[in-house]
Amino acid sequence: MAETREGFHEYWRETLDALARYPACPEVDLLPLRSTAFATLYGVRLTSLGPYRLFGYLSIPAGTGPFPAIYYPPKYQSVLEIIPQGTANLIRSRYITFALAGRGQRNADTPYAAMFPGLLTEGIDREESYIFRGIVADSVRGLQFLLTRRELDTARVVVTGNDLALITAALRSGATHVVAAAALFYRTAELAPRTQAYPLEEINDYLRLFPARAEAVRRTLAYYDLRAFAPRITATTLLMAGAPGTLLDALALRPLVTALQGLVTVHDSEQSLYKDGLYTEQWMAAQCGITDVQSILPEHWRESRDRAGHPQPSA
Amino acid sequence: MPKPASAEYRSSVRKPDDFDAFWDDVLRQASAIPLEAEVIPDPLRTSEEIEVFQVFYSSIEHVRIAAWYCRPARRMERTPAVMLLPGYQMDPPIPKEWARKGYIALSVAPRGKLRSNRQFNPGYPNLLTHNIVDRHTYAYRGFYADTWRGIDFLLSRPEVEPTRLGVTGSSQGGGLTITTAAMRPEVRAAAAGAPYLCGFMDAIELTHTYPYEEINDYLRLHPESRREVEETVAYFDGINFADRIACPIIVNIGLQDNVCPPETGYALFNRIGAEDKHLYPYDGHGHDAGRARHSAIVDRFFAHHLLGREVSR
Repeated sequence: MAETREGFHEYWRETLDALARYPACPEVDLLPLRSTAFATLYGVRLTSLGPYRLFGYLSIPAGTGPFPAIYYPPKYQSVLEIIPQGTANLIRSRYITFALAGRGQRNADTPYAAMFPGLLTEGIDREESYIFRGIVADSVRGLQFLLTRRELDTARVVVTGNDLALITAALRSGATHVVAAAALFYRTAELAPRTQAYPLEEINDYLRLFPARAEAVRRTLAYYDLRAFAPRITATTLLMAGAPGTLLDALALRPLVTALQGLVTVHDSEQSLYKDGLYTEQWMAAQCGITDVQSILPEHWRESRDRAGHPQPSA
Repeated sequence: MPKPASAEYRSSVRKPDDFDAFWDDVLRQASAIPLEAEVIPDPLRTSEEIEVFQVFYSSIEHVRIAAWYCRPARRMERTPAVMLLPGYQMDPPIPKEWARKGYIALSVAPRGKLRSNRQFNPGYPNLLTHNIVDRHTYAYRGFYADTWRGIDFLLSRPEVEPTRLGVTGSSQGGGLTITTAAMRPEVRAAAAGAPYLCGFMDAIELTHTYPYEEINDYLRLHPESRREVEETVAYFDGINFADRIACPIIVNIGLQDNVCPPETGYALFNRIGAEDKHLYPYDGHGHDAGRARHSAIVDRFFAHHLLGREVSR
């Protein structure tokens, strides 16, 4: 296993201390357009490190609760979704969902608007001002906010996303489960030269233009490497690996799996959004004690369809 | 595994009588606007093998549209080109991999997308229902025109072989592939994956996932507007464009697609006017529409039609 970079713990303690100096000052506004009989949607504004004002979508199921929750930390894209594209809207009837836009994403793009591609290397040659220091703080702030909700069952809090899901669970207690697919910060300096695909190609582009900054980039990335966070993660984790033979397959992720402290399940991608998505939905439901997962799956993933093959919505 | 969708699904989509006149008028308006193209080298993204540029051009209502433009550093004097069209919420990618295959490639960011959102920015979610009660100002009127203007940009480039233009994309990019192939006869080959924007009003009954769910949200709040919504989206439905497609085309769909219902993919394919058309339905696949297997088929298809060569399996 790679050694944790010297100063790693201080770097993140200072980041969290700096975040703590800014109260979240949440504003929660009802969004009638996206509210249904089974869930109410709110727009949430929060302050993070900077200070920087963030935005998120909070959905609360109808009923008394307490409810399990799914927290979606900032994704690597400009768009903030209420729930991920393709997820049955009815999932909001059973889980609290909270999706956060980190600084630079839509709805949190004033004064800073991120570029995609481009975000991954924004300030990457200076670890103290690398853009992801702020984004990680944003993600932690989002989890902190979610944990304040009185409707929440604190024993069932799933954080799901890319590397930020794992990093957030490492830096802030409260995540009981993690579903994560590494994409940005796993052995990045080593793996980027082995691919031409974005987002890691951003690192290759950057170092082609600024070769003299290679050591500084490597130094910064070491503060973000998932292997260094893993010993702090005690949540039960589902790690979504690439298909066998791909850059981030289960074999490549083995050091990360070994370092995680909680129970870990590794799922090899079947290169089907249906099969991988169904696996994830069923895993989360099982972990959260939801026994009728069929009722909150997308129609085309359900077992029940009529004779003509048309889905039979249960809502 | 769930039972796959029926290939015999009967779509409710009906074409308005003045459909062609409506869109021919949009085309006329677009063609009257000077392209005013800017082609700006991007040294950060350029390598020895691939030259990358940021492109900007004007579209209908004088909205400036951004795109990524990649070309092989070593290329023919006139090189075949492929236009890439983006998904609903994705940020348009830099299409280096297409340049590596020997094409000039243009990846368009229609209005509202990142880098094309200074003059028009309804946001996500919201784009799908922005002015949805009025076909003359509905978001996709300009959005469609922006992609067609991408063809004008390619035709303006001296290094592009104008008789060998292809268009491709998946999800919204698949829907835009359909509308572009229909409206721009200069397109000689098209590959559409998991096409969105086809069978709008069918889709909102068949699935309850975003982005189509935006329409259900809208109708829940504005039930009195249902007729206007139906009338508007009929003008924008890819199924109503399909009979105008004459170039060779391939379409791939996932039979467990939870975003763009496969029923609408079948309905679209049945309406495509081209004689040279092939459908690839992938059982056991969702919105990826079998991409991992299908990408090689797309490569062979464009190599055959645009590069004039066969690619071994």
